[in-house]
Amino acid sequence: MARGDADAFDFLYDQVAASVFGIVRRVVRDPAQSEEVTQDVLLEVWRNAAKFDAERGSATAWVTTLAHRRAVDRVRSVQKEADRERRIATAVIPYDEVAEAVEANLERERVRRCLGSLTELQRESVTLAYYGGYTYNQVASLLGVPDGTVKTRMRDALIRLRDCLGVSE
Amino acid sequence: MSKRERDEHTLAGPYAMDAISGPDRARFERHLAGCGECAREVASLREATSRLAAATAISPPPELKERVMAAAAATRQQPPAAEPRAVGRRWHARRRVRIRLVLAVAAAAVAVVAVLFGVNNGVMRDQLNHDQASSQQVAAVLTARDATMKTGTVRGGGTVTIVMSHSMRQLVFTAADLRGLPAAGRYELWLAGPAGDRPVTMIPASHHGMAGPVVASGLRPGDHLVLTAEPSGGTSRPTTPIMFDVIL
Repeated sequence: MARGDADAFDFLYDQVAASVFGIVRRVVRDPAQSEEVTQDVLLEVWRNAAKFDAERGSATAWVTTLAHRRAVDRVRSVQKEADRERRIATAVIPYDEVAEAVEANLERERVRRCLGSLTELQRESVTLAYYGGYTYNQVASLLGVPDGTVKTRMRDALIRLRDCLGVSE
Repeated sequence: MSKRERDEHTLAGPYAMDAISGPDRARFERHLAGCGECAREVASLREATSRLAAATAISPPPELKERVMAAAAATRQQPPAAEPRAVGRRWHARRRVRIRLVLAVAAAAVAVVAVLFGVNNGVMRDQLNHDQASSQQVAAVLTARDATMKTGTVRGGGTVTIVMSHSMRQLVFTAADLRGLPAAGRYELWLAGPAGDRPVTMIPASHHGMAGPVVASGLRPGDHLVLTAEPSGGTSRPTTPIMFDVIL
């Protein structure tokens, strides 16, 4: 690989690896599998860097979307039902009480505050879906509400989070 | 919009969070392909989910970086999706696109720095104005036509990334994973060369493992960029061994 490419990828790694590893770890939970998935995601970023299109969103969103998708694919393909039962317990731990050494930072504090501004149903739907890796149908049966309600609450919740976090459209 | 279309559209939330099964995903992607407004909404929701991901950030083990860099060195990159008009310019376009990705990530990092300072703007108005000015300066260097990038290792731990524009005679300096210094110490950046040695700036304390970005202006031919650890008040000349030295 050309020297300039290596430097560029080195820089990219330093900027995005912690977010990629963080979300993969949160969804997959198993440390060894999380490292595997993180490595696959970063290589996919390397391979497909030319396909990134700034018109269709930010670079960090492109990378974290890929990371989340791959993490979810991994838990859905690998984990058995019994395992998933255990994961429900961990997904619903309040956001600020996760025992893992997530690095404290202002960004995290801001997200926590914005999650706090959602209704309980919105917050549980987002937390179970995004951090727990559940489909909206599974979230609906876990929370005992109709599928359609969860679907619309998820969209409302993300719109509210987007506005609260000051994300530019 | 028919009822069926409205139903499809409410899948934007689950889709943006991958909370959707295979068949639903495929169905919604067909819907997205024909609905520009929906695609824009999904993109904007994904900026929000991206922040949910960033809030879980945790440094991976250092060995992972070695494995990823080694695997990348052995992996061919895909060319960009060929557009009919662009075929003749494919290789040129490919390099431009890749640099754009790196710059886009760098610009996002700059924005985060601005946001972090913005939180304190009640008490730090002067500092904030200074930081906003510098983030525009940083963006100007990162997007300069002749921007080039160098990376290097710091003696004692950490990596440095420099993006430099010769035409602007400026560079942007960032560092990752610098070793922590005693409370009274700070990293200081210098330019050294035929035009004399001059201090550039004290490096602000690392946030989340990242220090900077800071801008160095007034580069002269033959300059070196030098990093040392100094008392937090700064000194007029380096008093400790050089930890990083690069010829610009």
